[in-house]
Amino acid sequence: MDRDSFLTRVGRASITSQLPDPVSLSVDLPELPPADLLVLFRSRSQTVNAVVHGPVTRHGVPRAVSGIATGHDASSFMAWDDLPAPGVPSALQAVGMDRVDHVVPSERRTDHNLGYRDVGVGITGAEAALAESGSVVLVHGEGRPRMASLVPDVHIALVELDRLDRTLAHWAQKNPTLVTETTNLVLITGPSRTGDIEQRLNLGVHGPRHVHIVMIK
Amino acid sequence: MQGPQVQLFVTCLVDALAPEVGRATLDALEKAGCEVAFPVDQGCCGQPAFNVGLVEDARKMAAHTLDVLDDTEGTVVIPSGSCTVMIAHHYRELFADTHREEQAKRVSSRVQELTQFLVDDLQTSARARCEDCAVAYHYSCHGLRELGLDHQADTLLEDTTRAHLDGDRECCGFGGLFAIEMPAVSTAIMDDKLDRIEASGADTVVGGDVSCLVHIAGGLRRRGSEIDVKHIAELIGDAT
Amino acid sequence: MSQPVTFLGRAEALIGTHEADAVDRGVRNFLELREKSVEELPALEGLRDRARAIRLHALRHLDRLLTHFADQMQAAGGQVHWAEDAADARQIAADILDRTESLRVVKSKSMVSEEIELNSHLETLGLDVIETDLGEFIAQLAGDTPSHIIAPVLHMTREDIGRLFADELGVPYTEDPFELNRIARAHLREVFLRADAGISGVNMAVAESGSIVLVTNEGNGRLITTAPRVHIALMGMERIVSRWEDAAVVLETLARSATGQRLSVYTNVITGPRREQDPDGPEEVHVIVVDNGRSRILAGETAEILACIRCGACLNACPVFRTAGGHAYGSVYSGPFGSIVTPGLHGMDPWWDLPFASTLCGACEEVCPVRIQIPKMLLQLRQQAASEGRLPGWLQAGIARYARMTVDPSRWARAKKWASRLSGLISTGGWIRRMPGPARGWTSSRDLPRPAKESFNDWWRANRGS
Repeated sequence: MDRDSFLTRVGRASITSQLPDPVSLSVDLPELPPADLLVLFRSRSQTVNAVVHGPVTRHGVPRAVSGIATGHDASSFMAWDDLPAPGVPSALQAVGMDRVDHVVPSERRTDHNLGYRDVGVGITGAEAALAESGSVVLVHGEGRPRMASLVPDVHIALVELDRLDRTLAHWAQKNPTLVTETTNLVLITGPSRTGDIEQRLNLGVHGPRHVHIVMIK
Repeated sequence: MQGPQVQLFVTCLVDALAPEVGRATLDALEKAGCEVAFPVDQGCCGQPAFNVGLVEDARKMAAHTLDVLDDTEGTVVIPSGSCTVMIAHHYRELFADTHREEQAKRVSSRVQELTQFLVDDLQTSARARCEDCAVAYHYSCHGLRELGLDHQADTLLEDTTRAHLDGDRECCGFGGLFAIEMPAVSTAIMDDKLDRIEASGADTVVGGDVSCLVHIAGGLRRRGSEIDVKHIAELIGDAT
Repeated sequence: MSQPVTFLGRAEALIGTHEADAVDRGVRNFLELREKSVEELPALEGLRDRARAIRLHALRHLDRLLTHFADQMQAAGGQVHWAEDAADARQIAADILDRTESLRVVKSKSMVSEEIELNSHLETLGLDVIETDLGEFIAQLAGDTPSHIIAPVLHMTREDIGRLFADELGVPYTEDPFELNRIARAHLREVFLRADAGISGVNMAVAESGSIVLVTNEGNGRLITTAPRVHIALMGMERIVSRWEDAAVVLETLARSATGQRLSVYTNVITGPRREQDPDGPEEVHVIVVDNGRSRILAGETAEILACIRCGACLNACPVFRTAGGHAYGSVYSGPFGSIVTPGLHGMDPWWDLPFASTLCGACEEVCPVRIQIPKMLLQLRQQAASEGRLPGWLQAGIARYARMTVDPSRWARAKKWASRLSGLISTGGWIRRMPGPARGWTSSRDLPRPAKESFNDWWRANRGS
């Protein structure tokens, strides 16, 4: 069906529609009791099985990351080009890990994809962290592959401390246009999970099984 | 000390199946200082028809109820959450844009469920008594969700020994004519409720709606249970 | 295999079965999780009000929002298609797959795809379509349909699944959920990475930015919209909000109501296909906006049901759903939501009895994140069914008779006396064990007290004067 016919039908339906009168939108979001954001973030991250590290200095990030990676016995990694701290890829290569190429060619896409089968660690930055839910916000684009936080067994997100906010609703209100500046914005709240088998929690279904968040001061 | 004059609307189920609940309600109100009148022409509020979509029959019964109650004055007290909801909430919509619109508004604003009237309005000091028994209270759905009835029963029962009833705010499965339209489903929900009642250790189940109580009592009896079933009015007033 | 055509018929076949017991246990688990989440009650109540306002506003201005959404999505390089009905939607999807030479298709959870029966259609065209949500994957493997919107195999135990994997995937039998999980992950990883196209649903579209939001916990929703060349998103036309801030509010209420989580694991916001400088992502993004009867619902008295955000809370709270299970509703959408939307989309034949599959307890409305007035609409649909003469004869006649009796005081008094006398013949100790006719539904499982010899009315007249 063409757009005009479709929308005309919708418009016509609206005329006889018996929707209840809408409640007026309150101006402010609900008041929340005050909290130390970092303490809250640590606690809520733990609830969703993510681990929060630091805060460490920018200088100390490569060591923190390689510590986590070797702790998981990883032999390969993917990383964003523009991380909030320098020196991470070279630190991982120095302990013998291979870097996986993350630019997907338009042709022979499947061959490239199959190379993602067994990536050990993915390192990304983060646009923000949300204390209430223990989430990190990732904005993808040039040099920032989506796959880095998706195919590896371990995802390490590097977040600057001053990017910590309270809730999704609050953060979205402050950043209303960010979604248009990227083709893909993702909120990640802990490792991949399912309860589909007898409502028993299982981590690492299709996405990463381990999520580490390194706070940078 | 002369208290308020109130009208008693007992409900068709109490009238026909459980008149002792009506007498207990009367006694509870009189003990709380009320002068109670009973409009003898009352019948049914119309809820059974309304809930199955038979609006014309519902209107017929509602119109009669309106006429009977409009001929009186004072608060109309009802020992049933669901019947109170029918009159207080649904009569307006049944008679909107009709010649009975004002009458419906008038009468529907006068009705009060019994525990709500005793505790919130009269702030009675009367309390339920149950000698040597553990009481489980079932919060009937309409009263709970549409009238906010819960603390009233809790207050009235504060001198009794309360047994903890798991799922006490969940439906018993009666659902009006649902009980005979979809008996297998109604029974399955009831069985769940009865299992929980038996597991609660209560020897008496108490509630605010005879509709739920007849269903629960009928199921318990079929199981050969010794658990007693009472309307809360019976624990406050005398049923003699 | 044909199933009974009434809700009651299907329910009777399911109550007390292994499947129904599993549903009951699973649902109670969800309720507990939601209860814990509701401990943050004050904030949640405010969010619910706001979420309701956001959704009702969107429905009120639906054509304008859809227009804006389409313009923005197209400006970002995506393509928007408009499907009048199920056949239209299937055709559009098939055409896209054909044009892009996509043979291996991976899917994530999409109620709309089930509603339009997409999978079987694509399979008849020779395409390989794999469900990737773990529960959906299991259901597909078993040749079954999902029984709950959030937990598709609520009705299967770990032993059932272990046996299934052993039979279908050729792996050694295990009933350890952890092991079953790993088996599925390994098997599906290959599938994701080789796929040509991914088909998803849409939790919410955002008009202002031309974005679609997909919410998953497993990661398959991200994988199928990132790895393959082509992404097709099926969107019910009502699943839209104005702005990103509005989407954020609704997302906060969604997870809490569905599973007690503060947010689902992955909230994936997509605004068009891969841009030139992006290292990965699909080359093409298509959104198929589906009507399939929604405009008919929008035009009527149950329009409010379109505010639903598919959290599943009403299913979990419903005593009827809990005892009978999702399959009793006979259709893609079950529970209280399904009872309203199914007759709305597909008409009263044969779905008129779904609104009667309820005790009107109101638990659904109590938990709904956008406060949809479900019992009110169930009553409206019941009125419609009654006015169309669909109620059984005994019920219509019985109620009519009851109405005539109770409005006439002397007639009512006589009727009560007769009922008491007659019941004396079939009762013992004041109770009736067996009733004839339609009322035998009561006495099949319950006793009935016999009508009192002296009604309250009689007693009053005798003791207190008239």
